[in-house]
Amino acid sequence: MRTLSIDIGSTWTKAALFSIDGHELTLINKGLVPTNTENLAESFFHCVENILQEDVGSLLSRSELSVNYSSSAKGGLGVAALGLVPCITLESAKVTAHSAGAKIVHYYSYKLTHHDIRELECSPPDILLFTGGTDGGEEKYGLANARMLGESRLDCAIIFAGNRDIQDGVSQLLRDKDLTIVENVLPDLDTPNPGPARKAICNAFLKRIVKGKGLDKIVDVIGKEPLPTPYTVYELVNYISQSSEAWREFMLFDMGGATTDVYTTCNNILTPDTFKHGLDEPFLKRTVEGDLGMRISSVTAGESTRALVESIFSNQPTEKAAFYDYLRRVNAQPEHTPVNATEVHFDTLLAGLNVGYASERHAGTKRTVATVAGNRELQTGRDLTSVRKIIGTGGWLSRAQSFDIHRWIKYRDIDEQGKKILLPTEFEYYRDGQGLIPLLANVGREFPQHAAITSIKNLTDNRGRKYGNQ
Amino acid sequence: MKKPRLVIGVIGADCHSVGNKIMERVFTEFGFYVTNLGVMVSQDEYIDAAIETGADAIIVSSIYGHGDTDCLGMRDRCIERGVGDILLYIGGNLVVGKYDFKEVEPKFKAMGFDFVMPPHQELEPLCDQIVRDVKTHNDKLALEVD
Repeated sequence: MRTLSIDIGSTWTKAALFSIDGHELTLINKGLVPTNTENLAESFFHCVENILQEDVGSLLSRSELSVNYSSSAKGGLGVAALGLVPCITLESAKVTAHSAGAKIVHYYSYKLTHHDIRELECSPPDILLFTGGTDGGEEKYGLANARMLGESRLDCAIIFAGNRDIQDGVSQLLRDKDLTIVENVLPDLDTPNPGPARKAICNAFLKRIVKGKGLDKIVDVIGKEPLPTPYTVYELVNYISQSSEAWREFMLFDMGGATTDVYTTCNNILTPDTFKHGLDEPFLKRTVEGDLGMRISSVTAGESTRALVESIFSNQPTEKAAFYDYLRRVNAQPEHTPVNATEVHFDTLLAGLNVGYASERHAGTKRTVATVAGNRELQTGRDLTSVRKIIGTGGWLSRAQSFDIHRWIKYRDIDEQGKKILLPTEFEYYRDGQGLIPLLANVGREFPQHAAITSIKNLTDNRGRKYGNQ
Repeated sequence: MKKPRLVIGVIGADCHSVGNKIMERVFTEFGFYVTNLGVMVSQDEYIDAAIETGADAIIVSSIYGHGDTDCLGMRDRCIERGVGDILLYIGGNLVVGKYDFKEVEPKFKAMGFDFVMPPHQELEPLCDQIVRDVKTHNDKLALEVD
């Protein structure tokens, strides 16, 4: 039995063919073709033929092959998140959207203003995730926002996952919209419930985003629908964590041209004298940094990380100017690859900045409070210091053989507000050298165990040694 | 009538958790919908939780004696955050030193608390009182709207 996996990216359509042997997969062939964004089916079948050398339809009809595929949906499924209190339901909405493979393009708390509505109308998201209020909780804000949205020209899919008590009111006010109502993402302050909203985001992706551009033709031949690429990677991270005790807790960076995605699985055990505040965070968490990337987001990355760039280039104004110049250049020419040592250095620096900032935003923090019973720690978010394994994937990280990630993760102990950053300090770093993780993630849809084991087996450390052979 | 919804917790840098757990239990068993924020809670955390859960009352505990500094401006903060009408209760060892409760109570009333409790407060009568207070309060708000 063989299994074929295809990932339709915004630039490249990649595919890999595996044979299934026992509990593992063996790579038979892989390849890539440029994505035809006007006709995705054309590049898809071109890529598949290159790899199979046979007709995919007849192989499928003889059940000699299984096929799974994903689509990055125009470089990311854009979700606008709407919540009530920023650190409560808005945060829940963001975590939910990220777990469904989306990136956040807008976010709003409390009441929507006319200005917000205009912003949504001018740059509409693919999906609006509408939350706010626990079940039986606050109603006025949600109804006011539903009224504003109902009167707007906004034409995206809307998923309502807020206070159950106003479901009827919301469906009445949004009766002319493409509305889906699901269970509250936060029915109670202590019990997050991202599942139903996550599923609804995925369905909306299939219903609206997949239409046109030739994807329906692919669905006809293959007989199943694609999933968003980051959604499948999220699931694979889950399978890897379940596959072995050694990999129960780990961190994964998927850094591309446009975004830096961070995934962690972590139990978040509180150390003594530590009190957790804020929302309960999930065991598996994904965050997406839309401003940190290697090409499309190089300029925004340079801006966001300016504080660290300034300290790296202190007393070197010319080099600093050259670095920013390089960021603008690769932003204008995303296909650019470094041609000399300086450019290689600049790419490495950019990657380091992205990793450093993305990991810091992902991790929890704690601060010490002096109390009458001695010092106590107040923690928000998750404590990742116990994580001992980190994986790097995505074009640049997959190829970077000598990237010193230790220098960048937790590049400082304390943030500007004086809070301790809860990132791992002692860890082993592995590279997904062949860039198989997004492709194995597809296989995981059908063979989760196989995909998890093969993902781990294909990792290499910085000396090029395979995982388990050190 | 809808179950009264309460937000409870221990304010400031106070980590006395036993009374807090007892309160959660008694209130829940009595039939309130309780959101317990635990210990070392800041003013904004109470208010955030009260907004999301549509709470009728916030019940602040303070055992370590610094309640008067921790609670400064709490009513004003509620007003700023859009829940100025919410019922505010406070109880515990509210100040450092041995003071007559008659001196302590006006201090907290002046800060905008609706009800101030001495160190020894029976919880069952308190539950009855909360039911009464919430009802009166909601009736009054309904009248104002009309």
